[in-house]
Amino acid sequence: MPLLEVHDLRTVFHTEAGTVRAVDGVSFSVEPGRILGIVGESGCGKSVSALSVMRLVPDPPGRIAGGRIIWKDRDLLQLPPRQMPSIRGREISMIFQDPMTSLNPVFTVWRHLREVLWKRFGLKGEAARKRAFQALGEVGIPDPESRLAAYPHELSGGMKQRIMIALALLCEPDLLIADEPTTALDVTIQKQILFLMRELQKRTGMAIVLITHNLGVVAETCDDVVVMYAGKVAEEATVHSLFRRPTHPYTKGLLESLPHKGLTREKPLPMIEGTVPSLVDPPTGCRFAPRCFRAEERCTREEPELLTKTVGRKAACHFPLGEDEP
Amino acid sequence: MFGFFRLDPITRKRLRRFRGIKRGWYALLILLTATVLSLFANFIANSRAIAVYYEGRLYFPTFVYYDMATFGQEDDWGFDDSEADYRRMREEFAGTGNWVLMPPIPFDPYENDFTYADPPPNPPDSRHLLGTDSQGRDVLARLIYGFRISIFFALSLTLVSQIIGTIIGCLQGYLAATFDILSQRFIEIWSSLPFLYVVILIGTLVTPSFGLLLFVMSLFAWIGITYYMRTETYREKAREYCLAARSMGASPFRIVFKHILPNALTPLVTLTPFQIVAAIFALTALDYLGYGLPAPTPSWGEMIDQALQPANRGYLWLSLSPFAAITITLTLVTLIGESVREAFDPKPYARYR
Repeated sequence: MPLLEVHDLRTVFHTEAGTVRAVDGVSFSVEPGRILGIVGESGCGKSVSALSVMRLVPDPPGRIAGGRIIWKDRDLLQLPPRQMPSIRGREISMIFQDPMTSLNPVFTVWRHLREVLWKRFGLKGEAARKRAFQALGEVGIPDPESRLAAYPHELSGGMKQRIMIALALLCEPDLLIADEPTTALDVTIQKQILFLMRELQKRTGMAIVLITHNLGVVAETCDDVVVMYAGKVAEEATVHSLFRRPTHPYTKGLLESLPHKGLTREKPLPMIEGTVPSLVDPPTGCRFAPRCFRAEERCTREEPELLTKTVGRKAACHFPLGEDEP
Repeated sequence: MFGFFRLDPITRKRLRRFRGIKRGWYALLILLTATVLSLFANFIANSRAIAVYYEGRLYFPTFVYYDMATFGQEDDWGFDDSEADYRRMREEFAGTGNWVLMPPIPFDPYENDFTYADPPPNPPDSRHLLGTDSQGRDVLARLIYGFRISIFFALSLTLVSQIIGTIIGCLQGYLAATFDILSQRFIEIWSSLPFLYVVILIGTLVTPSFGLLLFVMSLFAWIGITYYMRTETYREKAREYCLAARSMGASPFRIVFKHILPNALTPLVTLTPFQIVAAIFALTALDYLGYGLPAPTPSWGEMIDQALQPANRGYLWLSLSPFAAITITLTLVTLIGESVREAFDPKPYARYR
């Protein structure tokens, strides 16, 4: 049984330009103890989906317009708002993209940790300090004693993200939502952080939702993948089957546009032509149709449903790859 | 032991920079000394002695009433049941082994000290260093007590208005939406109430007192603070650490007052000295107009009012002393305020063109 099930989630933003349907009928589920990657380009609704699960969508202008978010037999969207703080942190934790601003600039590391320890476990004094040392040790921070007294601006980006992870893990959540945790970091640090998250996941058995636009990160870290495009799920698969054989043309395009060996001036990196459609007034039919090399007349008319194509994978496409070709 | 409680390095840097700005730093030292000293005004300017040693016993009459009989005194008409006259004691005690320790200014601010041969106001002399006013009261003593009232009134008003203004401003900024709009309209209506009329109205109903004036002025003084705190909160709550705090299950009030407030304190700190200036000035103005503290209370506004009465033309010391006192005090506070602002300026070498 899945830990988290998101059904037909719709989140809209009311802007001056009109209603932006940032997340338009997204469904996915997270199995316990697995890492789900959500990939897609900027503005496809990855982060908004995650914020919707936590019910942290800025309101106004945002609003969750429909759908169900089933967490441990409860629909989070039906819960009174006053009960959400007891789920946030305790059951679902989140880490954010930019570690530079995610820590309160006037608090020391210790004050951040202390607050969580006190609120979550009622720990204070020596016990809290011991637990804080341990937490910093777990995320690989050398010399925790001096780090505890440091202010965020005295730490490097990687350090800060480690602190954020330590904070999120301190709550011992069942699910960790990581919203582009490595995007703001440089490559070597990215690798360390991802490795750390995998390690911690193995040790604690929690589930992780990893939001990223980096397919490399997905390949290295995740078990399952959801590919999103323009507020909808394009494809859902396990990591191996997705990378071995993409079903949705968009996924194929994404994979092909990854930098790889053998690129020359004459044979440059392939890219997906066109741009992401406006979410205020999305095209009818398949949203990827205007950019799709396989699009036919039907695609611009009928919206494809997310259907199971083969075992363990779903795609929202009228003409999925791999059916009519070898 | 872990150094957890050290000050935020940015705050320390600002403090260091403030100390480096000499005019502000010394102004603060002077003003702090004066404020602390004014707490002991009863030991500085008082007609009662600080200590009296009489017939083998020590008396500390500063806050206690002793009649003349206690010290074997009697007045011109032979009675001994009025309050002891401590100023006479030095001569009376000469050669007896008893002694008296008088404050440096042996007059209290309410005491009428004059002879009918030489009606007040009397110009400064060795008895009254700054002269006496039209009722024979010592000007220096009244200045000192007036300073105490002014500065503590200003500090209290600033504190109260900052607390109220911060709470309301932060809630406006954080809750936004309906609460913000409604409270902002209320503030607009409220701030258009003419402050002076309200004070006059209340003054006709009840005798104003320190507490009442503080209350009435606080009714209006908090408004200015909300503007700053509201915008600060709006800005801070958009930062990601607030989202992070929420994602960890922090409640809205916790986020506002524990996470946002420490980040939004800069305008509050830089405004404080200027608020103090405004408060001193407001109290002086009210006293001058006669709607402030009731009559015998020593206050600067009342002293200026008296000095400017047509009957008191030509008695320069009456106007010079309170004017000088106000000017010096306000200049000191302004110097502090201006230095604080400079110390908090993130661009110390910025030039405004």
